[in-house]
Amino acid sequence: MNVLAFLPEWVEPVVRYMATEGLKGTAVIAAESVAASAVIGVLLGTLMTLDSRPLRGAIRLYIEIWRGLPLIVTIFVIFFVLPTAEIRFSAIQAAAVALSLWGSAQVAEATRGAVQSIPREQHEAASALGFGWLGRHVFVIVPQALRRLLPPMVSLLVNVIQNSTLAGLIGAVELLFAAKIQVERIAGPPPAGLAQVHAVEIYGGLMIVFFAISFPLTRLAAYLEKRLV
Amino acid sequence: MTLLASIDWQFLWEHRSEFVDGLENTLKVSAIGIAGAFGIGLVLGAARAHRIPVVSQLAAIYVELVRNTPLLVQVFLLFFGLPQAGIRLDSFGAAWIAVTIWGGAFNTENFRAGFEAVPARYREGAYALGFDPLRAFVNVTLPIGGRIALPSSINTYVSILKNTAILGPAISFPELTYQAYSLDSTYFKAVEIYVLLAVVYLVIVWTLSLAIRLLESRLALPGQT
Repeated sequence: MNVLAFLPEWVEPVVRYMATEGLKGTAVIAAESVAASAVIGVLLGTLMTLDSRPLRGAIRLYIEIWRGLPLIVTIFVIFFVLPTAEIRFSAIQAAAVALSLWGSAQVAEATRGAVQSIPREQHEAASALGFGWLGRHVFVIVPQALRRLLPPMVSLLVNVIQNSTLAGLIGAVELLFAAKIQVERIAGPPPAGLAQVHAVEIYGGLMIVFFAISFPLTRLAAYLEKRLV
Repeated sequence: MTLLASIDWQFLWEHRSEFVDGLENTLKVSAIGIAGAFGIGLVLGAARAHRIPVVSQLAAIYVELVRNTPLLVQVFLLFFGLPQAGIRLDSFGAAWIAVTIWGGAFNTENFRAGFEAVPARYREGAYALGFDPLRAFVNVTLPIGGRIALPSSINTYVSILKNTAILGPAISFPELTYQAYSLDSTYFKAVEIYVLLAVVYLVIVWTLSLAIRLLESRLALPGQT
């Protein structure tokens, strides 16, 4: 029944810790960042199609800053600089905020393209029915654009899951940091440790876990890309 | 404005050498990674596009494995895992190998797509003129496909540079981000240090993006915009 019973004794507590603590951290970061990226990104991307130079310029600046910075630098700025202005985040939340800034920039860029790809007739028909700019976009244009946003959103999910490992570098317990904790515990002296090195097995196993999550999703993104466009 | 006024410029000036050292290491590892990624991408991309048996399949596995796992896990496996197998890398070795493997996988895809976009009749024309497959590749597929692959491959090179930023915090390789981090842990000047760090990265990345756009328009295939 239990596959773990066939493996060496040290495996079970490691898997249990990573599946509970580690996976929880990764899931929280990924869920929060994808949700925030989608909402902020679609909003900014839609606003970018407005005919206002200052607004477009401001959103363009937002996109270029958060896409241009290495993610770890954004994480450090949020985790180490903002506390000087009395804005404090936990390590998990700091990573989620950084990933949301980066992700929303990606989504905004994709949304702008998707919204602009909706034919002019759709705007005209909605206007003829008495919709203003807001109603036209909320009820007619953006819902159609969302279909074309599906493939980039799946890719975003993959990227966010993979990049959530950076949270471990500021001490957030996600999958990679949980793995590191276990590698170091086992390498330590008994009773907590076993004075054994199992870095290859643990990091290699983690790589397989990430592959098993990411590969189907990248295939799905490629499939949706083909079907929807 | 109050933020600007409160910045301790003196501090940054006194510690400029730490930043310069970090920048040097960042650029050094990026340069190796970019050169390596170019070589790997060229060879494996050609093997993929021409469906060379065995090499093509192995390259596909390599690409999928790298693209579907976090770079940080790859770095950890190289730096903390390999010693278990008796292979000990210093942080510089693990750093350049990691970004080369990572960039090579993405670049293989870039070049594959570029080479496959070259119409088959161009190659057939070369064969008809008596070119052997290697000459046809070097003289026809490479110049055309390489230029098609240029924008996406340069994006990969910029990503390589940005990705070197995780190497310091992960394996203590003294690149720019690591230097910033260790300065902050000694002097607690987070605002000065990280704002400067962000500005330096933005200047590099934005300059590169601008250069890319200029290069793209100069190297664009005639008849394309």
